[in-house]
Amino acid sequence: MKSNRLIRNPIAMTGITIIGLYLLVILVSTFWLPFDPVDMDIDHLLEGPSLATGHLFGTDEFGRDILSRIMKGTSISLIISIAATALGAIVGTTMGTWAGYLGGRWDHALMRVADVMFSFPSLLLAIFIMAILGEKTYNVVIAIGIVYIPQFARISRGAILTIKSSEFIKAARSNGASSTFILRKHLLPNILVPLIVQISLSLSVAILLESSLSFLGLGVQPPAPSWGNMLSSARKVMVLAPWTAIYPGLAIVFLVLGFNLLGDGLRDILDPRLRNVR
Amino acid sequence: MSEESILRVEGLVTQFSTDRGLVKAVDGISFTLHRGETLGIVGESGSGKSVTNLSILRLVQSPPGNIAAGKVLFQGQDLLQASEEDVRLLRGKNISMIFQDPLTSLNPVLKVSIQIAEAIQLHHGLRRKAAKAKAVEMMKLIGIPDAERRADDYPHQFSGGMRQRIMIAMALSCNPDILIADEPTTALDVTIQAQILELIKNLSAKDRTAVILITHDLGVVAGMCDTVCVMYAGRIVERAPVDELFYDPKHPYTRGLLDSIPSVDLSGPDRLYSIPGAPPNLIDMPDACPFAPRCSSVMEVCTKAMPPETVLDAATARSVRCWLHTKEIKNA
Repeated sequence: MKSNRLIRNPIAMTGITIIGLYLLVILVSTFWLPFDPVDMDIDHLLEGPSLATGHLFGTDEFGRDILSRIMKGTSISLIISIAATALGAIVGTTMGTWAGYLGGRWDHALMRVADVMFSFPSLLLAIFIMAILGEKTYNVVIAIGIVYIPQFARISRGAILTIKSSEFIKAARSNGASSTFILRKHLLPNILVPLIVQISLSLSVAILLESSLSFLGLGVQPPAPSWGNMLSSARKVMVLAPWTAIYPGLAIVFLVLGFNLLGDGLRDILDPRLRNVR
Repeated sequence: MSEESILRVEGLVTQFSTDRGLVKAVDGISFTLHRGETLGIVGESGSGKSVTNLSILRLVQSPPGNIAAGKVLFQGQDLLQASEEDVRLLRGKNISMIFQDPLTSLNPVLKVSIQIAEAIQLHHGLRRKAAKAKAVEMMKLIGIPDAERRADDYPHQFSGGMRQRIMIAMALSCNPDILIADEPTTALDVTIQAQILELIKNLSAKDRTAVILITHDLGVVAGMCDTVCVMYAGRIVERAPVDELFYDPKHPYTRGLLDSIPSVDLSGPDRLYSIPGAPPNLIDMPDACPFAPRCSSVMEVCTKAMPPETVLDAATARSVRCWLHTKEIKNA
């Protein structure tokens, strides 16, 4: 039933198709790339897209093939995005559900910390954390994950608060269920919908955050390709060779679009108030 | 009653601290429940019926709730002194509960078989498959047609009566010693009510389960209960075997309740009878009979002191809390 609604939802399906294409690119890039993404070629600096040379998206200022770099960067960007979202979702949801369920002092303390973290723009907070941790690829995951923790904590806490006083929670307690059991079996399945939507939207924002950090030189370090640091190096030669900026930029745009469409579609599908609405 | 007693509540006091003061929702309740007995607890809304039973299982939300005094002796063990973990292990296994509203008492996102099997899984550690088989067995027992197929349905796919049956299946899945039914039929229509009550009656008779039936419907009490406790303002004002309560009510409040039952007899008065006034505010109760302001046979002493519990017949544990029946005053 649910999968049916997913297939019939054009927005979600478009999103899934786009994401699927990127996954295909990752799969292909693990076996085959047109060129070595870090191999410099002094004879072909800043060449435009052309079939003749085989550089379909052109080359950058070191003569590296842009298509190969984008393909290699896809897996880096997606892995960082997924890992960071997973980190934020798992830690944030755990904290938020316990705070919401137990209430009282813990809840207050946790939510004030979340408020403080919320008062910084996400990018600024991510830059701050990167500055502390140091410029490593896995630190990008940690930085974005930490930015996400309060978001997931707040969403799950809010959802828990609305259902924790339900009769069926009382019924479960009268059945001898422990707090852990109630959280796992009764509360978590009930807050899954807002969480799933938040996860899909977080994945897209993580792509942007990772690109921004790499653009600023804090994220993935060259020569390893990342869409963000490709844009960063393209900045200097953009007027001369616009393809160096356009293709990585489009790669970011379409993946973010894919996640956002999926998130919107999922929200429509999973929101019971919108169910059966045409 | 010659049967062994299974639950003894002694002097139970449950309070709620609110902004406006301390509310004594339950103020010194004592009763004894025997194996196989059905005890009715009757009273108006807010008289402390539900809080009494939540207190027995220590399910009162705290804060603001607080069990201030008393003992709840289950097979000799005081549940109020026991550890949280010990009480948790009793819940659902030895003492289980059916709630008032079957629409909200089932988790909307879980299959009913999982919910029915919950107590069995919690207390006997059954595997998923075995637990599901047991759930289907319970569903057959409580008369859900086509149980195998319906086991994988969700609560919203069942009618109100069926959902209450599922609640009963949940509560009885571990063969508890005591079943607490908190207004189990209030949310159901009359024909379903009778079926549900019949089901509770038959199932409890089969395993000699003791039942505490909370209700405000005296018709239900007459059909189901062996003994009745009438509660008013957090206290038991009258306790009697069911026949005696109906034929010879001692407390003016009980009499008022019985008179309030609408009669289909057309020769009766045109207007329905109701007890004048409203139940008292439970904050800062004065030391007097709480029913005095509404009582038709009120005396001077009623507004000055709380009447003690007077045992009228020790053999049947018949008692009343009213100055009308207190010997010292009569003699004075």
